[in-house]
Amino acid sequence: MSPLSIVGDVQVGFPAVRTGYGQQTYGNTQPQTQRATWVRIEPDGSVTAFAGKVEYGQNIRTGLAIEVADELRVPLAAVTVILGDTDRVPWDMGTFGSQSTARVGWQLRKACATAREALLSMAADRLDLPAADLEARDGRVVSKSDPSRGVGYADLLGEQELEIEIAERPTVTPPSEFTQMGRQHLIRVDGIDRVTGRAVYSQDVLPEGVLYAAVIRPPAYGARARSVDFAAAERMPGVVRVVHEGSLIAVLAEDDEAAALGARVATIDWELTPGQPGRFEMPSHLVESGTEPFTMQERGDLGEGFRGAAHVLESSYYIPYIAPAPMEPRAAVALWEGDHLTVWAGTQRPFGIRQELSAAFDMPEERVRVIAPEIGGGFGAKSPYGLATEAARLAKVAGRPVRVAYSRADEMAWSNFRPAALVKIRSGFGADGRLTAWDSVAYHSGERVMIGRRGADTPYDAPHVLSVVYRSDSPLPSGSYRSLGAAVNHFAREVHMDEIAEAIGVDPVELRLRNLSEPRFRRVLEATAEAFGWTGPRLANGHGAGIALGIDVGSYVATAAEVSVQEKEVRVHRVSAALDCGLVVNPEGAANQMEGSIVMGLGGALFEAADFQDGRLLTTTFARYRVPRIVDAPKIDVRFVGDDDAPSTGAGEPGIVPIAAAISGAVFGATGQRHRELPIQRYL
Amino acid sequence: MLTVTVNGVPREVVRGDRNLLSFLRYDLGLTGSKYGCGEGLCGACTVLVDGQPLRACMTTTGAVAGGEVTTIEGVATGETLEDLHPVQRAFVEEQAMQCGYCIPGFVMGTIGLLNREPHPSAGQIREALAEHMCRCGTYQRIEKAVQRAAGGEA
Repeated sequence: MSPLSIVGDVQVGFPAVRTGYGQQTYGNTQPQTQRATWVRIEPDGSVTAFAGKVEYGQNIRTGLAIEVADELRVPLAAVTVILGDTDRVPWDMGTFGSQSTARVGWQLRKACATAREALLSMAADRLDLPAADLEARDGRVVSKSDPSRGVGYADLLGEQELEIEIAERPTVTPPSEFTQMGRQHLIRVDGIDRVTGRAVYSQDVLPEGVLYAAVIRPPAYGARARSVDFAAAERMPGVVRVVHEGSLIAVLAEDDEAAALGARVATIDWELTPGQPGRFEMPSHLVESGTEPFTMQERGDLGEGFRGAAHVLESSYYIPYIAPAPMEPRAAVALWEGDHLTVWAGTQRPFGIRQELSAAFDMPEERVRVIAPEIGGGFGAKSPYGLATEAARLAKVAGRPVRVAYSRADEMAWSNFRPAALVKIRSGFGADGRLTAWDSVAYHSGERVMIGRRGADTPYDAPHVLSVVYRSDSPLPSGSYRSLGAAVNHFAREVHMDEIAEAIGVDPVELRLRNLSEPRFRRVLEATAEAFGWTGPRLANGHGAGIALGIDVGSYVATAAEVSVQEKEVRVHRVSAALDCGLVVNPEGAANQMEGSIVMGLGGALFEAADFQDGRLLTTTFARYRVPRIVDAPKIDVRFVGDDDAPSTGAGEPGIVPIAAAISGAVFGATGQRHRELPIQRYL
Repeated sequence: MLTVTVNGVPREVVRGDRNLLSFLRYDLGLTGSKYGCGEGLCGACTVLVDGQPLRACMTTTGAVAGGEVTTIEGVATGETLEDLHPVQRAFVEEQAMQCGYCIPGFVMGTIGLLNREPHPSAGQIREALAEHMCRCGTYQRIEKAVQRAAGGEA
């Protein structure tokens, strides 16, 4: 127990938590308790903050620590942030949608402001001074008029065990009084652990007596084992036992190589599912299987809009599946202690996985603990985490802790992919490029309809608009990926805007400005054009330039890129981007996220595509699935142009939204060839 | 009995065909060297053997027997920035990391590069690290960190 605990509602971490989106998307993940401790002041005056989010590279541990330190007026070093452990932190639906700073950070700030107000009031009594004369500073409450009079938080609290509810409207610190938020923090609170190898990822969890599992996965989607012959595997040295329970086929051994060898000598008769659509059938399959048309945006009357147009332009855009390909392949370790289960899993949804485990073993959630340690990249993909249940089942059978780990090939094949999509746009516009009509129809693969809808509404001022999104069949599992379908929808829309500009001979920046009244869009576009030194798509040295804008997770973004093209290779030389995400709490962390989004988006723009035939992934190694390397990385310049008074919105995803269209426009500037299909290098 | 010296400590090797990365991670518990691809294409498992970078996932204990293996755990054991190796410090100071899974490999690859070429050009840095992957895309920062560690402009 701590001297002071600040408790509050747990349902703040995701906006849709009360709308049913979570239940619809991730099953019935609901909190067991509505209140939890968010912030604690410890007996030594240090501060512990708790959040149900996980750290998978977005630097949220540092970001939250900065917010807590600033609101509570303590040094950054006095703050410890505990994340992603279901026994210790407030319930959270999952770390996705760039909500950590926007929502959990805000909750922690309110919790800390509540604590600060309580401390000030206690100090007023203790020091017998008016509250107006007191301020919190450096872990103490001191008198403004006589700084020699003061009391440290630890002394002030003493042996108490206070619990205070987060105030409805506590006095959070205004931006003008920030001492840590908004400042440059190059050094992450977990930086040293990362460069010394001490940071523990789920691949690294090795409890005493752990058995290594080699789970045998089918050769293709739709494959089922008719029979399994483990005779040879059981005789392999090091193999402890073999398991065939339903679709779970595994070899357990004392070391990883013995398990892998055992799996290799298992003889399995696979029944395959023929006739599945492959990569070449995807564009037509998307259109033919489209169902549940959903109107994203509708205004005016398209017929009237097209009748009033001087020009009409119609194009289609196709984007294949791409693989998240995080550096760390998924791994899970399960440990049964009596009727209590602990699972380490590098998932974005520790509470959702706890619920799945509880259901799988028909036991209350209180007896299940899921710990998400450091996560070696996820980008949205590590929400589903079937390995957790596999490890728990195997550990139960074996009576020992069991580790299940994906190989690289497993991670590339048995992940969830960014959906494939086909977008058709028909636009009408005047001789000056002002839009009169905008008719967009998008087909995104997969059950999860929110993916394709994100970013499918146009920000441009066309008076007559209809944007419809269909849900299409998905031969591969489609799932979350940085910005969901927004990057795909933005690619189609922004390339189309470039086509209009070219059709009437207007500069792409000017064309966009003529159709944009929202000042925040205009500002990011103009800031980007200025930073980049925009002069048009065709540069004197044979290089090309492209520019695009967008919005995602409430943040406005624009990006410009300069490329050169030699035979089948596009080289992106430099990228400028402007982001308006409101108040920037941790500018260096946000810049790092923007740079990463741009590099990741460059891969999808130029060379990434998950290829498959007959349910079989063909791109299961880095030799066949090219991702951006240091030699592909452009010089990136990011600036933040939002207002400090505007609430923080996401910074982890917007960067990927405009980059593919900017690169496509730049390739057009260099070659005169318009690219409406990704990845561009396949079509050079 | 074969012996491999790991971070200065001689270690007996039971089987010379044991994968070096598995030996380091699972037999010795040195989990700072990461498994990323198992085929030498991502660099996450990079260690130094006699001062030069090697993909641990692509070799065996027998192949490095008699040699000196240095893993990330052997580079510096300090708790503070001042106690780190200059390359590690530079990665922290440039915030050249996001998820951090690839970073031990990049640090080892960089130390190997600076052993060969104390003042590498931008081209040499890119060439030396071309077979390391950072899916989070922190390459611009990594390049700056290497320059900083080499004492050049950061």
